[in-house]
Amino acid sequence: MDTQGLVGIVPWTFIAQLCNLFIQLWLIKKFLFKPVNDILEKRQKMTEAELKGAREAKEKAETMKKEYETSLSSAQAQAAEIVATAQKEAQGKADNIVKEAKEQAAQLTARAEADIAQEKKKAINEAKDTIGGLAMDIAGKVVEKEINENDHRKLIDEFINNVGEAS
Amino acid sequence: MNFEITGSKIFYTIHTPIPVLGDFQITETLIVSWIVMVIITLLCIFLTRNLQVENISKRQAIAEMLVETANNFVRGNTGSTKFDKLIPLVATIFTTSVVSNLICLVGLRSPTADLATEAAWAVVVFVIITATKIKAGGIGGYLKGFTQPIPVLTPFNILSEFATPVSMACRHFGNILSGVVIDGLIYAALALASSAILGLIPGTVGAVLSQIPILSVGIPAVLGVYFDWFTGVMQAFIFSMLTIMYIANAAEG
Repeated sequence: MDTQGLVGIVPWTFIAQLCNLFIQLWLIKKFLFKPVNDILEKRQKMTEAELKGAREAKEKAETMKKEYETSLSSAQAQAAEIVATAQKEAQGKADNIVKEAKEQAAQLTARAEADIAQEKKKAINEAKDTIGGLAMDIAGKVVEKEINENDHRKLIDEFINNVGEAS
Repeated sequence: MNFEITGSKIFYTIHTPIPVLGDFQITETLIVSWIVMVIITLLCIFLTRNLQVENISKRQAIAEMLVETANNFVRGNTGSTKFDKLIPLVATIFTTSVVSNLICLVGLRSPTADLATEAAWAVVVFVIITATKIKAGGIGGYLKGFTQPIPVLTPFNILSEFATPVSMACRHFGNILSGVVIDGLIYAALALASSAILGLIPGTVGAVLSQIPILSVGIPAVLGVYFDWFTGVMQAFIFSMLTIMYIANAAEG
């Protein structure tokens, strides 16, 4: 079988090997680099998307936390306010009740005192009448003489009035 | 016993009327080159079958590792991502070179033991180097570069420009050819030695046994670790390394 020279460049072999190199380049690109790079890119995109999602979720959670904290503190303030208002109202009501009670008591006392004074006056008047009658009877019996009852009564009333004023 | 080293065998000749190029010869170099290409392509297809984004298989891990290694090799040596377009080319040269160099282990003749193969690669690299230089400095800048630092050096600069692809091709070719030569010598020497040793056995037994090169069974494999494995991988590495270094330098200058 014929052989080519050991050292030397045969033009056709050179051209063929040039073509082979480019065909091989194309094949390696198509079957190794393209699919692997595609998958690497896809993975990177996926990782980035996941990272982004995680970051967004974190931000959302933090916002929610802040909101909760704000609403919680406002709720606490509201509760404190409500309690304070209730206490104030209760205090006011209690005060009113006490005041009313006192007023009522004072009214009652005043009425009772007025009643007592009236009763006293009535009693004094009755006593006056009785004493007047008695004095007339006594005087009539002592004089044994019909005196004009009207004149005497006048006299006696004057006398008792004077006594009443003096007493 | 005669020991002979020849160029690649011619299997078939296609006559062409083209004057300079002559007849197209289907040689061992081309046949083995095609075998190498088929091996590499099948390997790529096998590795990248059924790729997943998550829960990757071992095959996919290897494929991704290969691509990442190629990326890191080019980016690490150029220090930038400007040359990412060249990654497949460098990877192709490296892979083809390694497989071509190592295919001699199964008894085929390495396509890289033919200077035409390396010459083709080196010319491609040379074209890219020149294109990069022209792109970086314009045609004026490229031509002016030959007269630097002083115009007297112009012939030497031109010479050194062409020395780049020549040295790249010849370095690779020489190393692989020397491997072929040494392997051939070792096989021949071991065959002679075994026939001489076994020929000491008297009678027909010795006569038959001395025909079998029994020493050729293990020893070449040990020597092949250096002459085939080491040289083969090393030369592929050097060639692709020089490719990317020269191109990176061209972009700077």
